[in-house]
Amino acid sequence: MSLDWVPVVAVFYCKNVPGGGEEERHAIEKRYKGSARLYPIPCSGRLDAIHLLKALEEFADGAYVVTCPHGSCRYFEGNSWAAKRLETVRRLIESIGLEGARVGMVAESSEEPIDLSILTGEFINSISKIGPSPVLKS
Amino acid sequence: MITAEQKPIKEIRETIAPYRKILVLGCGSCVAECAAGGEKETAMLASALRMAARMNKEDVLIEDKTIDRQCVRDFIVQLEGVIEAYDAVLSLGCGAGVQAVAEIFSDTTIIPALNTEFLGQTKDQGLWTENCVGCGDCMLYYFGGVCPLARCSKQLMNGPCGGSREGRCEVDPEIPCAWQLIIDRLGRIGGLERLGKVYPAKDWSKKQGRGPRKIVREDQQR
Repeated sequence: MSLDWVPVVAVFYCKNVPGGGEEERHAIEKRYKGSARLYPIPCSGRLDAIHLLKALEEFADGAYVVTCPHGSCRYFEGNSWAAKRLETVRRLIESIGLEGARVGMVAESSEEPIDLSILTGEFINSISKIGPSPVLKS
Repeated sequence: MITAEQKPIKEIRETIAPYRKILVLGCGSCVAECAAGGEKETAMLASALRMAARMNKEDVLIEDKTIDRQCVRDFIVQLEGVIEAYDAVLSLGCGAGVQAVAEIFSDTTIIPALNTEFLGQTKDQGLWTENCVGCGDCMLYYFGGVCPLARCSKQLMNGPCGGSREGRCEVDPEIPCAWQLIIDRLGRIGGLERLGKVYPAKDWSKKQGRGPRKIVREDQQR
């Protein structure tokens, strides 16, 4: 692994999750410097597979989705759709030899929600363990 | 509509391997409806192929474009001035679309990215079922709107067979017995007398017995 490698994650998140406001987004991106690019979406159901793929293709070592808790989507089933689209992307990238763990989804907990800032840090840690994306390093 | 499914990436990568400039071409009609070859799927496939190429240090250009219909000349000609820049076109059209594009751009390699499946309906989100074989002599009136050729596993014109069990087919219990459906439906619409005759074996000459078919409508021609 290159010593000067800085992991980059793309985080797509429902604006209704804890810490999902615009000010928080700026703070998180500032905190993690260039390692986190955050993309708020009105509902995780708005997520398309191509969003994750484009992130992986163009700049991200990993792409993640943060959704409302299961059963608590204000549009009823947005997070269920997000989960399905994420699995589609996982299968697709695995079919080309890219690690499936480079994409992931966290559904917030109703009881003990985790702040988006903390989740972003965890995503960066996960990707740091996997290493640089072979798509980007070549 | 015509349904299709994407070929495995491995097979697609093998077929495009000899080419350096590839246009991934989607179709916005039937294959978009069945989520196999529309604009989204085309962009996804192109992105995945670009990533695969980079991972394998292949020097290729892969771009994508979707036209409304790959099986209609008026839409295909939109590719004039575009297609010439590529060594090959990876088509996410059905078999008809692939051939129509290949016919018009006869000097360009057109590669199918989909396996064309059947004529069917969108029964639910993410569920497509076969219900027409394009026989050229529709008999749905006699069978209450349920085609025994497309939906009976044995294509029986006079059913049901002895393998119908509680409305299910013995070939696969997942499949509803078409003849049960026919009888139920004709019963509901008061048409059971249509089954009072023995139907002869299907005359397949109207399908492909005389080679590839065509329809000529002079009133529609220029």
